[in-house]
Amino acid sequence: MDERLDKALEFSNYMLTLNNQKRLLTEKYQEELLYFYDGCQFTVTKELINFVKLLLDNEQDENAVLTDDNGIPTIVADVDKFYNSIINVYFVASNTYHSEYIKLKNQRSVEKLVDYEEN
Amino acid sequence: MKKTKGAFLIARNNSQVDYVKQAVFLAKRIRKYLGIPTTVLTDSVEYINHNFDAGVFDRIIPCSATQQQNQRLYFDGSMHQRQATFNNRTRSQAYDLSPYDETLLLDTDYIISNSLLKNCFDSQDDFLIYKDSTDVAQVRDEQEFKYISDTSVPFYWATCVFFRKTPVNKIYFDLVQHIEKEWDHYRRVYQIASQLFRNDFAFSIAIHIMNGFQEGLFAKPMPGKMMYTTDRDILWQLNDDQMMFLVEKKGYLGEYTALKTKGQTIHVMNKYSLGRMIDLEMSNE
Repeated sequence: MDERLDKALEFSNYMLTLNNQKRLLTEKYQEELLYFYDGCQFTVTKELINFVKLLLDNEQDENAVLTDDNGIPTIVADVDKFYNSIINVYFVASNTYHSEYIKLKNQRSVEKLVDYEEN
Repeated sequence: MKKTKGAFLIARNNSQVDYVKQAVFLAKRIRKYLGIPTTVLTDSVEYINHNFDAGVFDRIIPCSATQQQNQRLYFDGSMHQRQATFNNRTRSQAYDLSPYDETLLLDTDYIISNSLLKNCFDSQDDFLIYKDSTDVAQVRDEQEFKYISDTSVPFYWATCVFFRKTPVNKIYFDLVQHIEKEWDHYRRVYQIASQLFRNDFAFSIAIHIMNGFQEGLFAKPMPGKMMYTTDRDILWQLNDDQMMFLVEKKGYLGEYTALKTKGQTIHVMNKYSLGRMIDLEMSNE
């Protein structure tokens, strides 16, 4: 086979694998952004963080009603504690996502992308 | 009184697939990642006792070894396939047979790799099931996992279900049993072309009925998303919470792309490749 075509196919395979790995990493990130409180599931988004911060800024730091991902309302007794927890979830998940992403981006072969070790 | 909680698996071998081996493997992972006991319903109690460490199970519940006329193809990648009996008509009895107040009902090929499902037990809802799913390969039409047929109701995964013992859930599981018994009728009403009985379909139809024959809020979603690989993909490596798959390449039969997951729970539908990985893992123990 023509060497140029060979290289193109190799690169195509690399890009396909890279895109797949990036997609899976995003899925994992979304899963790690989940925060569970009082039997309710919250995806920690920038919107949620801002809303909770707004409550705190307006001195509504006790017994605030929040609705979870499934539309279930729940009373958050200690809003400040809730805020600290979601911030923690957000940064732990985001930092992991960032470091994994950078690691992935720097891999230059399919074998390295999938961390393949031959038995 | 404190509520009992645990996982419930069903393992009924056929000529091609060793579901018991999968159940033993999964029970260890359930204990490791979720910290709960596992009960297995099986027609192969002797086989477990002679070949595996039965201590991985909290309880082993025997059932009779009846063979059903429910044949399906089992693929091992896109180039290899075999037909075998699909012994899947016991899942609807999970409510009656589970010894736990709160049960996580799982397929034996659902490879738990994180602790996310622990959160089910704290949920305010009594019945959780996956509706949203992601194909790890993302090269196939996912329509068959969105609706039970092109003109029918939404698809729910019976692969992973959480339920508490409540009167409403009792009604639901009785309804699933009824649908199973009258499958030929219900598959026609719900416009399913295939005669093959599938628990996913029966569970989905029952949810539709429980919701007053429309979409509704009877079933709440499990945490996160159901991730799956079909039996056209191959599980190539399994190392603790890391899995490497060879996933089908779109338009190139028999060609694959490598893909790695870490800390993600995956429904591995290729039973042959899963079996090979379990053998490897067990030989290293």
